[in-house]
Amino acid sequence: MARFHELTVKEVRKTIRDAVVVTLEPTNGAAEDFDFTQGQYLTFRRDFDGEELRRSYSICAGKDDGILQVGIKRVDGGAFSTWANEDLKPGDTLEAMPPMGGFYTPLDPGAARQYLGFAGGSGITPVLSILKTTLEREPLSTFTLVYANKAVNSIMFREELEDLKNTYMGRFNVVHILESDAQEIDLFTGLVTEEKCAELFKGWIDIEHVDTAFICGPEPMMLGIAAALRSAGMDDSQIKFELFASAQPGRLKRKAESKGASATGNQASAAITLDGSTQTVTMGKDVTILDAALDNAMDAPFACKAGVCSTCRCRVLEGEVDMVANHALEDYEVEKGYVLSCQSFPVTDRVVVDFDQ
Amino acid sequence: MNEMSIESYLAQGGVLTSPGNVPPRYRAELMRLMATFVDSELAGAAGFADIINEGPGITERIAASRIVLEKLDHAERVLKIMGEFGANTDRYANHHPWTARLERDAEVGATRSEHDMRLSVFNYPLQGWADAVAMNLLMGKAVSIQLVEFSLVSYQPLAEAFRAIAPGETRHAELAEEGLSKLAAEDGAKESLQASVNYWWPRVADSFGGDKSARAETLAAFGLRRSSNTALRARWEAEADSALGRVGLARP
Repeated sequence: MARFHELTVKEVRKTIRDAVVVTLEPTNGAAEDFDFTQGQYLTFRRDFDGEELRRSYSICAGKDDGILQVGIKRVDGGAFSTWANEDLKPGDTLEAMPPMGGFYTPLDPGAARQYLGFAGGSGITPVLSILKTTLEREPLSTFTLVYANKAVNSIMFREELEDLKNTYMGRFNVVHILESDAQEIDLFTGLVTEEKCAELFKGWIDIEHVDTAFICGPEPMMLGIAAALRSAGMDDSQIKFELFASAQPGRLKRKAESKGASATGNQASAAITLDGSTQTVTMGKDVTILDAALDNAMDAPFACKAGVCSTCRCRVLEGEVDMVANHALEDYEVEKGYVLSCQSFPVTDRVVVDFDQ
Repeated sequence: MNEMSIESYLAQGGVLTSPGNVPPRYRAELMRLMATFVDSELAGAAGFADIINEGPGITERIAASRIVLEKLDHAERVLKIMGEFGANTDRYANHHPWTARLERDAEVGATRSEHDMRLSVFNYPLQGWADAVAMNLLMGKAVSIQLVEFSLVSYQPLAEAFRAIAPGETRHAELAEEGLSKLAAEDGAKESLQASVNYWWPRVADSFGGDKSARAETLAAFGLRRSSNTALRARWEAEADSALGRVGLARP
């Protein structure tokens, strides 16, 4: 299981009004663990009012920048991103797991490839890492970036991208698509939809010769672009996706307080929710929650039945269960009330569990 | 523009990319799919490992060893992705006796054993080298067809793993066909080979699952399935049938 390491904040720089670029330095000899691949992300954890939150942010530095940097855009109501934008300062310590993610393709210094990147808003962070690294390490390849934003003042890394255009003259090209600001060319105004891409592929982008496409942005944008790329003849192995951070689950509610211990007997009543419907079953206290669900013809998920794989994870909303073995869930999950249903026996006379959370 | 639920994104063919953005029920079905693959590869490799020494020559033993090695490698790749969701990968590899088999004439249909998710076909014991080769041809074809389907799953890291695994598994079926063709050319060997084919055919067919699957709709909505069990089985029957024809055997 991946472990958290401490990182020291070296710099916090505002890029636009509501986004910061944070430069980090691994401490305690963890530098090797943070030797990332372009396009990967870091998962941070921090306690907010006694509840641990985990959030992932993409690395925006290139492999040859010699630093570790992530971009964090403030999300409305997002505890972590608001804190990072307002309170984080140099000298602070952050905890993160080593880089993860597969949003990249292997580079080959001898290859002459054509890459096409699509980024929506802060979706630029991993794409920036990829394009910087690619332009530096594949000197014969070219990169075209289609970058969607609301308006000129919300474009992250605008100046940095201009500098890259000058550094890699003729090999790097950016098309800015702005939702609300009018531009000289009509095509460059509006949303990046399937139709917009099809238009771009007519004159602006030589789609037939593109080897690999990278897409990072909100869901509807990814769907539209992917559809356009497939219609243009690209197959799924040539299209790399990275789903935006906005899709991460929202803040979790606190676990409900346990409602008193067992009163009588060896029977419990369990309300089990799966796929939106709830069944209340009477079960023995020597039966696991998973088996109780299966015995009542509920198609509850499981695989190993040994507390190892975590397929059967569910959340206890009310009452108490005894989880006799746990080789998969982490402490923060257990604190939130998650249990392995294959290893959990009811303790209280009534338990309420949910497989949908 | 940013307001779209994960469910509707998936229903429209969207792709998920990390444990951080999968919803709970999707996670469970994805884990189950991965566990089925990992358990089948581990059980398949364990069963076949015992057969290596029975190979009639060094070439055959090398082929068998390679199949065992690669099945373990394929299991490891997918187990690594399960690990990213929290599965304890070290313990997983040893939590079950993968060599365990039922009786040759046990009737388990398509049901799984109590404690692992291997496809039911891997619960039956192999009977010697020729029987193992026949099983490998039929099952190799089935795995190749399943992997075409699996290479399109909506969880990108897994789809990529399956795309990398697919050529190896296809090669296993080719090795089995070469082996079977060699065995079938020997005098008087056809009868017992045909008996093995007759034994394994319905059991491999069962591994595609029933025609009516309650979970199919959920899996399709999640982008974890495209073709029906029936369609996949029909594809397998056609391919296995012609492979048998090439080596002078027939489907039962």
